[in-house]
Amino acid sequence: MPSIALHRASVDFPIYNSRNRSLRNALLARVGGRLEEAGDLVTVRALEDISLTLNPGDRLALVGRNGAGKSTLLRVLAGAYEPTSGSAVIDGRVSSLFDLTMGMDAELTGADNVVLRGVFLGMSIAEARSYIPEVAEFSELGGFMHLPMRTYSSGMRLRLAFAISTVRTPDILLLDEFISVGDESFVRKTRERLERMIDKAHILVLASHSPQTLRAYCNRALLLHEGRIVGEGPIEAILARYKEQAA
Amino acid sequence: MSLFPTRADWRRAAEDLTQGLAAWHIWSLLAFNDIRQRYKRSRFGQFWITLSTGIFIAGIGIVYSYLFDRPIETYVPYLSVNIVIWTLLAGIVTDSTGVFTQAGHILGQQAMPKTIFVMRVIVRQLIILAHNLVIIALVFMLFGIVPTPAVVMVVPGLLLALVASLLTAMAIGLLCTRFRDLPQIIQSLLQVAFFLTPVMWHTDQLGGQASYIVDFNPFAVFLLIVADPLHGQWPGVERYLQALAVIVLMGLVAAPLFARFRARIVYWL
Repeated sequence: MPSIALHRASVDFPIYNSRNRSLRNALLARVGGRLEEAGDLVTVRALEDISLTLNPGDRLALVGRNGAGKSTLLRVLAGAYEPTSGSAVIDGRVSSLFDLTMGMDAELTGADNVVLRGVFLGMSIAEARSYIPEVAEFSELGGFMHLPMRTYSSGMRLRLAFAISTVRTPDILLLDEFISVGDESFVRKTRERLERMIDKAHILVLASHSPQTLRAYCNRALLLHEGRIVGEGPIEAILARYKEQAA
Repeated sequence: MSLFPTRADWRRAAEDLTQGLAAWHIWSLLAFNDIRQRYKRSRFGQFWITLSTGIFIAGIGIVYSYLFDRPIETYVPYLSVNIVIWTLLAGIVTDSTGVFTQAGHILGQQAMPKTIFVMRVIVRQLIILAHNLVIIALVFMLFGIVPTPAVVMVVPGLLLALVASLLTAMAIGLLCTRFRDLPQIIQSLLQVAFFLTPVMWHTDQLGGQASYIVDFNPFAVFLLIVADPLHGQWPGVERYLQALAVIVLMGLVAAPLFARFRARIVYWL
């Protein structure tokens, strides 16, 4: 069964400015005597001591102000960032829809990009190719599928990216804000499809600033503040605390 | 923060390597797209690779055959083989400086074996090699050169070079992500290496006392084990031993480095 277990996970970002990022300074810091830059390394602690267990059926809302660590936590859950300390065990196929167009290439045709994006989602090339007609239909791109993606409007690109990214349901679905793509009629289509995906995924983690969205899809919530979990529990209680905190 | 990898680090690095190598469909697709994308809107397309190498060989070949006082009909075939192999070796080193920074956008969002991107660089350079092999074929036909049976030794030579490339690209890629001055340093060292490697000149021209320039130059070692068979010579056993020594050394550097810092790469992007 798909599951996620974080144990006291912390994420520290070292910020190297151009000076201490250079090899010269790294070498000098070793062999030189007193150097003012020695203590120049700034570390941003994006997440601190996060312990969290997610099991099938969990629909987790991430609540918190800008910079609270929601996106970083999502990236840890996606497995992109391995925690600096502590551990993260992620079991199951993850789909992280943070940037739908990730890995796509404007010079390639829409169809080629479907294959490329599909492969990044874990499909074989043949499998990804088999989705081209379905993607063409859903995205309503028709003849544009065989033109380079640079000829698309930004809305068309997103339609294509959304269509391929959501063609298969993952075990674990990670969303940074509820995705909304395209014009009015397409927005309705994407909403339906995304809702179906959320329904079928074993685990959902959704970060959002919209209480309505979180209420609609989540059954438990986590309140983050400055990289720490400051509240955990039922969605209404956490939303109330968030409102208090923001006030 | 310890500099030594833990057991968990080693295990995850091994997983990264095996899963990365197994994901051949991803790295081959990425590599082919890289080449396609680069030449997409030009008339000659990817044959610009062949064309530009050809122009380079023609220019250098004429001038240096006079400079070195060698007949064109032996010097140009000699040079063509060497330049084509050098382009592969230098290309892998150059490309590996950007192997992770180039994939930064992807690595920051999704868990993917880092090895995939290393293989992408190697395959990309192999595609370029395939285009350049056309030149060797054309030059051989032009000067009526028939490869000797020694040509079979190109295969083991190339395989050894690729193993060394994988290790080198991992180490260079990782260090270049952390230290952003390194790509420039490597680029300028590579220009020097071109002149220290028997690409334009012949090992015999060095004279005995300077043979260390070739013996201790990893570029020369791998160039010779691939190029010599094409020149009709069987490389000596000592060349293969040198190649193996370089691989072992690179392995001793790259493996712990990769195991220890593999997970840090995304933090450095």
